[in-house]
Amino acid sequence: MIWLRRLLSRKQLERDLDKELRFHFETQIADKMRSGIPENEARRLARLEFGGIDQIKEDCRESRGTMWLESLLQDVRYGLRQLRRAPGFTLTAVLTLALGIGANAAIFTLVNAVLLRNLPVVDPKSLVRLGDWADCCQNSGPKSDGDYSMFSTATYQQLKKTTPEFEELAAMQAGFEYRAIVVRRDAIQEAAKPRMGEFVSGNYFRMFGLQPAKGRLISDSDDVAGAPLVAVMSYATWKNVYNGDHSVIGETFWMNTKPVSVIGVAPEGFYGDRMSSTPPDFYMPIATAPDEMGGKGFRDPSQNWLDIIGRVKPGTAMVPLQQKLSAELKPLFAPDPHFSAADIAKVHLVLTPGGAGTQSMQDDYASNLKLLMWIAGLVLMIACANIANLLLVRGMQRKAELSVRAALGAMRGRIVRQLLTESLLLAGIGGAAALAVSYSGARMLLILAFPGEQHVPISASPSAEVLGFALLVSVVTGVLFGVAPAMLGAKAPPADALRSGTRATAGGASLLQRGLVVLQAALSVVLLVGAGLFSQSLGKLHHINMKLESENRYIVHFNAQAAGYKDEQVNALYPTIEERFHAIPGVVKVGVSTFTPMEGNNNGYGIKLVGEPNVHTEATNIIMNPEYFDSVGTHVLMGRSITEHDTAASPHIAVVNEDFVKALFKPGENPIGHRFTAEDSPLPYEIVGVVEGTSYTDLRRNGKRAMYFGPLTQPSEAGYAGAIVIETSHPVRNMESITRQTLMGINSNLAIQKFETFDAQIAGRFTHERMLATLMTLFGGLALLLATVGLYGVTSYTVVRRTSEIGIRMALGADRRGVAAMILRSALLQTLLGLAIGIPVAFYGVTLVKSQLYELTTVSSGALVVAVGILLAAACVAGVIPARRASSVDPVRALRTE
Amino acid sequence: MKSENKFDLPQGTLDLLIMRVVALAPIHGYAIAQRIQQMSREALQVQQGSLYPALHRLEYKKLLMSRWQPTETGREAKFYELTARGRAYLRDETENWKRLTDVVGLILKGTVEGVS
Repeated sequence: MIWLRRLLSRKQLERDLDKELRFHFETQIADKMRSGIPENEARRLARLEFGGIDQIKEDCRESRGTMWLESLLQDVRYGLRQLRRAPGFTLTAVLTLALGIGANAAIFTLVNAVLLRNLPVVDPKSLVRLGDWADCCQNSGPKSDGDYSMFSTATYQQLKKTTPEFEELAAMQAGFEYRAIVVRRDAIQEAAKPRMGEFVSGNYFRMFGLQPAKGRLISDSDDVAGAPLVAVMSYATWKNVYNGDHSVIGETFWMNTKPVSVIGVAPEGFYGDRMSSTPPDFYMPIATAPDEMGGKGFRDPSQNWLDIIGRVKPGTAMVPLQQKLSAELKPLFAPDPHFSAADIAKVHLVLTPGGAGTQSMQDDYASNLKLLMWIAGLVLMIACANIANLLLVRGMQRKAELSVRAALGAMRGRIVRQLLTESLLLAGIGGAAALAVSYSGARMLLILAFPGEQHVPISASPSAEVLGFALLVSVVTGVLFGVAPAMLGAKAPPADALRSGTRATAGGASLLQRGLVVLQAALSVVLLVGAGLFSQSLGKLHHINMKLESENRYIVHFNAQAAGYKDEQVNALYPTIEERFHAIPGVVKVGVSTFTPMEGNNNGYGIKLVGEPNVHTEATNIIMNPEYFDSVGTHVLMGRSITEHDTAASPHIAVVNEDFVKALFKPGENPIGHRFTAEDSPLPYEIVGVVEGTSYTDLRRNGKRAMYFGPLTQPSEAGYAGAIVIETSHPVRNMESITRQTLMGINSNLAIQKFETFDAQIAGRFTHERMLATLMTLFGGLALLLATVGLYGVTSYTVVRRTSEIGIRMALGADRRGVAAMILRSALLQTLLGLAIGIPVAFYGVTLVKSQLYELTTVSSGALVVAVGILLAAACVAGVIPARRASSVDPVRALRTE
Repeated sequence: MKSENKFDLPQGTLDLLIMRVVALAPIHGYAIAQRIQQMSREALQVQQGSLYPALHRLEYKKLLMSRWQPTETGREAKFYELTARGRAYLRDETENWKRLTDVVGLILKGTVEGVS
């Protein structure tokens, strides 16, 4: 660290150097005077002999070995001073870099976290998943393509026995996210809360190679029928919900009314076997799953409900393993009477890498994230073009300065190094600002993508890769566009540059600069069109007639089974709910049903018309109470609705929707009185009424979903009602706490699983669309801003360069309006060229994102007109300011200032 | 500047000359230049532009050390002296130099005779 010490004692060294050389110089004079030369002459001679004292000093410093650092510091100081001297330039450049790189880094952070990241487990590369698509959550029967990704407990047990290729083969509940459990801590009299619980095989944690943070993890001995009920808590839940309380380990928790003892805490950072916005709070062994948590279905050999991931032994070849597993799968399905020989022949599975888990979120978000990456890339290109332009302009402006410095003896290498330092400084500041933008950008994206979710296991802080990426991009941009013009400038013989001065009239903006502006305009028009289309698509989705009424409606989800209700008790629960909620002041209607509109979830069954064996379809079934249709605003079109007279004893009836009628009846045929059979019920249904086709799931398939509605009181396998719809006469602010108290009043185990206004539930179905529209608008705006700044920069630079030319023109009789028009014309010409390139690109781009737009297959004229209008307006603004400056040039002064 | 030298000093020779002079007694820069000139019988004139960077380089390499002390006229000057490392370096390099000049001289002598 000697150079550091030298650097610190630099002042002392400088003083000594000066003193030493001065001593030499003066001794020399003294010697000369002693030999009889008069003082003046001696001094002159000595100075001649001595040469440039500063040059000697510089050489001495160089030989001291700290030169590079000193000159670096000098360059940095000088660079900072230069940047401070041009605050407009610095601010624009830093902002451009920050926004361009920041947006990219934010998107890349998410891409990295969602699409590229492996699970935080030991050697994720040797994990293999059995299956290649996200099936959910529990089903049975043959699949038309024979590709299975979800398996029954029996299948898992069998495959585990027959595949020595796997070191471990573990199974996990595919659909735990859709089956929250209700948890109440025993030691503290707390209210029951819904939590995520996932059933996993005994070797689950061992396969992932995990160690407990506290206590122990689930082992094979816990995963046998009859073993005591145990659960492992996730680290995040332990920290966030139970404040890292050590006493929870070994304690009994009531889960769906069953006592379960918590045996340990999973390791920190482990968020389960898949990326999810609702990661598991508890892990429980499969074999002991109580019926209250779905255990009956888990033990049914025909019910597929498990994802399977295994760790293969080193050197296992995938293709033969996949063939072997597919072959073993066939006989396991054979006993199921629903499988024909043809179905069995098609049965197979596909092995996929399991290092990232089961990847359902990846599937959900991949297309969105890829689109966003493209868009962020476009914005980065615009930003780079902007930086390039700014630095080019600056480099050319400084040509004269550089020539002067070169003429005064500055070495070319040193000048280039100085400019490089300046560019790197700028890039560094921009890069640092970009990181801040990236962090807040990623936070915003997470909020947009997962509104209301607090436990998404994705961190907004940029990873090392992202940091490196941001730095690299900024440095490359800075160096490329900052130093290149400077080098070119420094190469020119100083005299030429000095001579040409400002008298040049040809020197407007270069072709490269104009080209960059055209490129920016083109890219922005693409993004603006995109923003318009996505907003339009969202607007269209919002304006679809969903055939429902959401005003002053609240939707409460609850789970009677989790609260311990048995089949025979639950029928008494529904009237109690109706009665208690009606007693709340302001409540108009109380609907109780299995599912509600725009919830996204449903049960579908195959149905057939009685007497017409060839007429069949698949339809969604909902069971409901008499007030349900009114509570969600579904109108009866024909016949009647369900009433309190429809009881277990009365005829088995159903109300169907108009899409059901469309699917099964000829136009004009009256469906009332017809009967149909459905898989969910042993008794045929008689159609007593037709309602409008309220939207229940995906709006893209609106009007195509056949549905039938049965009374809660009549037999069906549809399951327990899980939703209460409350319609009030006016908005009730504290409806959630009133609801909680009301449910608690009925049974202390009845917890709210989800409480939302009807509007919020509907909005939840548009999360992706809203995210895309918001981001596209944001990026479009950003692109427009950057392009405007770029255009403004180039235009005003042109005006400055052409000041004397303009002066001459005006002196020769050009009028001010003509001059302004001339400047404006060139600005608009670049924009129009940009439009000419950008519009076809936009048309092409839309064909790539068509699938993510609703009812839009090409660029709509509205979006196009708006985008073009906005860009032209921005171009006018960017052109008018310099044009006005040009027209206010005073010819006399312009000619004199040279 | 080198054109003022009567000889072009081969690379690294100046360092050796400086160290040889410094080896006699602690001495300041001006005196070093004077001594080299004297000892070479005015054939070598060391320019300040080469002398001082060389001194600083040698000091940086820890072959020389320096201290400020008054001269006979009472002014403070920077006196250089050899470090132990410098002494060893000088010995080795002088040896090398002698061998080199012997060899080069041998060859050059032969050639000149052969030509004439």
